[in-house]
Amino acid sequence: METLQQVIAMILLVLGTFLSLVGVIGFIRLPDVYTRLHATGKVSVFGLVFLLLAVSILTPLTAWKGILLIFFVLLASPAVSHSIASAAYKAGVPLAGPKRDDLKSKLERGSDKDV
Amino acid sequence: MFYLSSIIALFIVYLMLTANITLPNLVLGLLVATGITLLMPKDAPMLFRIDRLPRFLWTGMQYAFVVFKDVVLGGIATARLVLDPKLPLKSGIIAIPTGSKSELGTAISAHAITLSPGELVIEMDSDGIMYTHCLDVESTAVAADEAQAKRHKLLSSLFD
Amino acid sequence: MQTILNIVIWVVLALHLIMILVAAWRTWRSENSAARLVGLDVASTLTTAVLILVGIIGNNSLFLDVAIVTTALGYLATVTIAKFISDQRVF
Repeated sequence: METLQQVIAMILLVLGTFLSLVGVIGFIRLPDVYTRLHATGKVSVFGLVFLLLAVSILTPLTAWKGILLIFFVLLASPAVSHSIASAAYKAGVPLAGPKRDDLKSKLERGSDKDV
Repeated sequence: MFYLSSIIALFIVYLMLTANITLPNLVLGLLVATGITLLMPKDAPMLFRIDRLPRFLWTGMQYAFVVFKDVVLGGIATARLVLDPKLPLKSGIIAIPTGSKSELGTAISAHAITLSPGELVIEMDSDGIMYTHCLDVESTAVAADEAQAKRHKLLSSLFD
Repeated sequence: MQTILNIVIWVVLALHLIMILVAAWRTWRSENSAARLVGLDVASTLTTAVLILVGIIGNNSLFLDVAIVTTALGYLATVTIAKFISDQRVF
């Protein structure tokens, strides 16, 4: 039983680290703010979720705290991504090569000078 | 009724944080939950209705499963795109109508869209149209309306 | 099995610390303030991950409480700075 717990925790730790690594690589490689938010805001958050699952399995006494933190992170991280993207769009940060921009005609944008 | 549902939710959170079930701790948790509830505005939207709790839990689980499937599929697609040496980006902003009347339903479907990797709600106007930035415009534009219709069906049975 | 788990945890901890350094370097070299904010958000998420790993190594559940508070403060700070970028004022 103990061995099984440790093997599952190990798999979860490696998976979470891989997802965080994908997030950071995306943060380095992708061209503009909006596409970077896709990599960092989601993928690295799921890395955190897998680490928390590993903690909950390794030490079952504190499992509730870990599950609460998972709920909290999953609830709050989209709000953070949205607030950064909305602020960047309103401040006028350009999109890298957009195929299509339905919002352009709807919203007054600032200039890129002051960011 | 609003007070009761809010107190129950906050009490459960308090018990998960402290994780001891002695009588003084239970009373203290109940007092803290009541105090926080009294600080909330009176016209806040109700989280769930006590009299329909079993159906709420069942539909909530179905909704969580739908969102989970979106998240896993989108996560795999985003990870493949990031690790691709050629970086085939086709990013852009598309408009997705919510189709939902209540504010809480609109907010929760925007949350689900932003949670799934590859889609990110930038702005929302008063008609309930979500302007969504996505990594792959063509495939998302095809799939988005159908996924939103599925979410809207579950959410409207939750909150209306 | 315990020794392999320990090795895995220490390697994962080292990788996370390296990732924080890389994120800080990329934040230093980015082109505008919104991109810098994205970098700070990544760094705060990774800091929470490091706290959790330290909690596993020390076998101390107190670090999870610290992680909850750190996450909440990091998210609040990010939202506040984003509002400042878009409106040029906080309140």
